[in-house]
Amino acid sequence: MIKDLAVLVAVLALTVVSGLRWLRVSQREHYLPGRAGRIARLWYARSGQDAMGELVAVALAVLALVPFDTAWLAAIVGAGIGALVPTGLSVRGRTSKLAWTGRLRRLAAGWIVLVLVLGALLAWLVGPPATALVAVSVPLTVDAAAWFMGLVEKRLSAPFVAKARKRLARVRPSVVAITGSYGKTSTKGYVAHLLARSRAVVASPASFNNRLGLSRAVNDGLAEGTEVFVAEMGTYGPGEIRELCELFPPDVAAITTIGEAHLERMGSTEVILAAKSEITERAKAVVLPVDEPGLAALAERCRADGKRVVTCSVTGLDADVVVDLAAGTATLAAPDRTDGPVTLELGEGVAHGVNLAVALGIALALDVEPEALRGRLTGLPRAAHRAEVQRTAEGLTVIDDTYNANPVGASAALTEAAGLVGEGGRLVLVTPGMVELGPVQVERNAALGRQAAEVGAHVVVVGRTNRSALVAGITAGGGEYEVVERRDQAVAVATRVAGAGGVILYENDLPDHYP
Amino acid sequence: MPDNRSASTSDARWAVVFGGPSPEHEISILTGLQAERVLTKAGQQVLPLYWAPTGGWFLVPNGAEAKDFLEGPPSAARPVEVRLGADPGFFVKGRLRSERLDISAALSCLHGGLGEGGGYAGLMALLGIPTTGGSLYASALGMDKLAFGGVLAAAGIPTLPRVALEPDLELPFDGPYIVKPRFGGSSIGIEIVDDLETARVVARTSAHLRAGAVVEPYRADLVDLNISFRTGGDGVQVSDLEKPLRKPDGAVYSYDEKYLAGGPGEAGLSSAPRELPAQVPDEVAALAAELAERVAVLTGVTGVARLDFLYDESSGELVVNEVNAVPGALALYLWAPKVGAAEVLLDALREARDAPPVSAPSGFGSGAALRAAGGIAGKLVGLDGPRL
Repeated sequence: MIKDLAVLVAVLALTVVSGLRWLRVSQREHYLPGRAGRIARLWYARSGQDAMGELVAVALAVLALVPFDTAWLAAIVGAGIGALVPTGLSVRGRTSKLAWTGRLRRLAAGWIVLVLVLGALLAWLVGPPATALVAVSVPLTVDAAAWFMGLVEKRLSAPFVAKARKRLARVRPSVVAITGSYGKTSTKGYVAHLLARSRAVVASPASFNNRLGLSRAVNDGLAEGTEVFVAEMGTYGPGEIRELCELFPPDVAAITTIGEAHLERMGSTEVILAAKSEITERAKAVVLPVDEPGLAALAERCRADGKRVVTCSVTGLDADVVVDLAAGTATLAAPDRTDGPVTLELGEGVAHGVNLAVALGIALALDVEPEALRGRLTGLPRAAHRAEVQRTAEGLTVIDDTYNANPVGASAALTEAAGLVGEGGRLVLVTPGMVELGPVQVERNAALGRQAAEVGAHVVVVGRTNRSALVAGITAGGGEYEVVERRDQAVAVATRVAGAGGVILYENDLPDHYP
Repeated sequence: MPDNRSASTSDARWAVVFGGPSPEHEISILTGLQAERVLTKAGQQVLPLYWAPTGGWFLVPNGAEAKDFLEGPPSAARPVEVRLGADPGFFVKGRLRSERLDISAALSCLHGGLGEGGGYAGLMALLGIPTTGGSLYASALGMDKLAFGGVLAAAGIPTLPRVALEPDLELPFDGPYIVKPRFGGSSIGIEIVDDLETARVVARTSAHLRAGAVVEPYRADLVDLNISFRTGGDGVQVSDLEKPLRKPDGAVYSYDEKYLAGGPGEAGLSSAPRELPAQVPDEVAALAAELAERVAVLTGVTGVARLDFLYDESSGELVVNEVNAVPGALALYLWAPKVGAAEVLLDALREARDAPPVSAPSGFGSGAALRAAGGIAGKLVGLDGPRL
């Protein structure tokens, strides 16, 4: 009897310790069901030691199902090992601590209930040592709880979303919806800046690009008299943008680009294109860059549907907005093409021409006179942590591209960084690689490694998530590299290698729940 | 002056009101947080009231920082209800019922929009809460550049010619012109144009000029001079004259130069470069002080205000540009050489608290007019319009 109680208490305590760890992971992964399990599999794939530990823990827990004398010992040891692994994944977190928000509390409550129910069932049907199974399957139970609580959260937040919809209907601004694999936030910033003089604009704050975030942006930020509301819409899968457009119907819809972001969850770029195209369904005007064939075809379909289409190009194709970064100009066609095109000069600091082209296209779609945009092309806002260049006192150049996670941007940043290296200095690339690229993740990271080697960079590979892929690419390109476990260790190494006149490029940054 | 002030101040509860529906919402937050700190450090009880852009009112914790407002009201903010009617006031939700906020007087830190333009003053008058920043009438006059210019001209105070941009009228002076929003603070929306046609185009396309635009001749050679005046304490007092130093190629002392220049953590009006006191001839400084006192009387603005001049260094000509009933940082940096910040704010608050109510008593008369009126039917005779 005492032994039974001891087993139950010990297993519960160890389960809770493990639970804190995986609840934090779920929080950092936006409470999406299935992510905790995905991260767990990633850790075991990257660390043989942890994989072995988990295997032993599960074996012991299964063993404890059999009613023999020392089953209770197997249960406790199994649960103990299960609470320890993965050893690199800390419970409290280094870069991002566990934040006890209301939502996390609700998830934790749901998870505890699930664990207690499962544990009670196991204890009653088989015996107290069987509860060790719950202690070694925490990522699974956290994911299950996240799924169920996701449904609960949706019900709980319904009044908040309804309030936002009523507010939007009352204030009645023109709604501009922007989506795209990359560049949404930059484009949104450009639109707000371009329109600031001629319209009362409110833009949704950075990263508020889902149902709850946009509701909050409307409830807290959409003041009376706002004429244009610029909403960034993100998506992890088909149907999500359609739902957002039903809640916040756009008048103007824009897609910046179709890339490989979240390829892992979407499956293929065709699925990504279809999911993002949902943004054009309700809009009366669409703005699309036609340099990409998929988007050019979408533009044709929208035209056939009778929508107003504003096309953009950065490669000199025939379009309503043509941005030429090399020449520093943007050419806008007049509405109905009655007058001649207007050419405007661009200021400095535009990283990706397509974002600016789409922003100008949105201004045209809102019937802003091209002349009114002339004075707004200087002082364009630069998104933070995206290829932000700083020079330290010792003459070192540091490029902070930690918010960039896409292969195209990484390659461009690398090329730009190579061009900045001074006399006697070296280019150092510090990166953990890129994630969520699904089928092409290994290939893209290897390509990045190879490109780094080809431009003569010394690469500091952080962590284990993409280590083998990056190293393979680097060695294929004949380059040199070093491996560190964490980003803070990389800084010292990089500073030493770069030397005076050198350049350090920090490309992407992974939170500490990645191996 | 009876010195029971210290006794009555110790249990006074001052509200500091900031935010508000205006383009200068963010600056207002900074002014408000600064004022709250000054008063709290001086041992006062302060209720910081934040007016969010979407209309909600919140009681925020003392000691808040600017970054707490980046995503909306701070997380510890408590929603406040504004009730008009027979039992008006600010009410914050308690555990069981709503609690009325007991406010001795409010310090307005609302820049621009309805906050500085009279809406807030009217609201507070209806709520029965004394506030700084002037009455509804004084605030509206200060906010309307055209009306203010007209009052100055009628009083014989030197000012640049200023006219409304009317659709069919020619301008009585030549370009280049400076076009300003008629109702608006700071330097947002100001445009410099060469001719009337461009002025009309700009007024049509700019969101800031649509509610009304005024035009003045643009004189690039004139420099800005500012002075602050305050009506609390002992009569109307004036601060030193300051000369803000603008960038060499800058045309107009802009919003960016005023509020955003300077390194991170240093930006803001208080650290914008300036000459204080301004290096001008004594007669000019004396004239500025005299004009400030006159404007205080003409407009009826109370509390702490700032008067902006334009000055021709070669000819010594000084003209009044505009008045700000609620200036950035409440002009505390202009008073610092002579008077401490806490004293400036407390004098303004006490003045508001002790002032007689502005609105005339709106009660019933004896009912004579109502009794003499007879039936309403009698008043409808002959109102049907012309007989056909």
